[in-house]
Amino acid sequence: MHTFFVWLESTGFSIWVRESPSLLAFPAILCLHTIGMGIVAGINGAIGLRILGVGSAVPLAEMKRFLPAMWFGFWLNAASGVALLIAYPTKALTNPVFYLKLGLIATAVLLARSIERTTSRIDDPAAGPLAGRVKILAAASLASWAGAITSGRLLAYTYTRLMS
Amino acid sequence: MAGFQVWLVSALASVKPVARLMHTHWGWPAAESLHFIGLSLLVGCIGSFDLRLLGVGKRIPIAALHELIPWGLIGFAINVVTGLLFLMTEPDQYIYNPSFHFKLLFIAIAGLNASAFYLTLYRRTTAPGAPDDAPRAAKIVAATSLCLWIAVIVSGRLLTFYRPGPCGPEGPGVLAECIPRVRRF
Repeated sequence: MHTFFVWLESTGFSIWVRESPSLLAFPAILCLHTIGMGIVAGINGAIGLRILGVGSAVPLAEMKRFLPAMWFGFWLNAASGVALLIAYPTKALTNPVFYLKLGLIATAVLLARSIERTTSRIDDPAAGPLAGRVKILAAASLASWAGAITSGRLLAYTYTRLMS
Repeated sequence: MAGFQVWLVSALASVKPVARLMHTHWGWPAAESLHFIGLSLLVGCIGSFDLRLLGVGKRIPIAALHELIPWGLIGFAINVVTGLLFLMTEPDQYIYNPSFHFKLLFIAIAGLNASAFYLTLYRRTTAPGAPDDAPRAAKIVAATSLCLWIAVIVSGRLLTFYRPGPCGPEGPGVLAECIPRVRRF
């Protein structure tokens, strides 16, 4: 693993992201990662709030219209996240908190898909027999995104090795 | 303006308990995490409403989706509070930071943009029987809102790359973007 980190950190792209003085390198990637975070966590949060009872006049099944924007945010963050990972592979991959963050994102994505399946079948599952189940999914989704954001933020404080 | 900035820095720095709290092991990271959660709440709730005005999800009544807006404002309030915690802990790192000046400017314009919506378009777009398709003016407001909040995120994220250093011999300009030499009290 050590040799892999050393190799990855010596690639042109890794060095460019890490060391380029251009605002289009590290700073722009960080900005994209934050914008994508707002979109993916925010839209999932809005859907979660709707399920939990905010704006109950909104037809729940129609919230799916925001899912393309949500997935745009997700893939923006997958791409910008990989770029940041290539810049600092040792820093992230030797930190247990990074795996916690990935686990929380995976959980949140599974919950989002489960919520999508449940809410697309019925007009208003939040008021029907599935109410309890889908509300638990929504609360778990909000908690997972808050956890993913917090663990992501903590990466700056918990790493033990910056580079190999 | 530079004189006002110097006064503001000393006023913000005078609230000692905040700096003590923020310098604990968890203070700064916890406030940052809350700031990012607040950001997501704001973008998710206000951004969804903006997208609806722009034509996404036309079967959702605009008035119904507007009930998300108070939650976006809760996100904003979380960020004002956590933002003040950062500001009171390291005031000179923000008050003299050009990226922070832009961030405040974008937030102010976003506020004016939202006020313009409520003063001129809110009733028309949310009245019973209002058309599914929002008027063009509401779409312009929504697109402006989305651009401004993205600009707020970008200027917030760039703060760290524009940290002000001490002013040179020429001193600060009208709006100080460096730390002026002042006596420490």
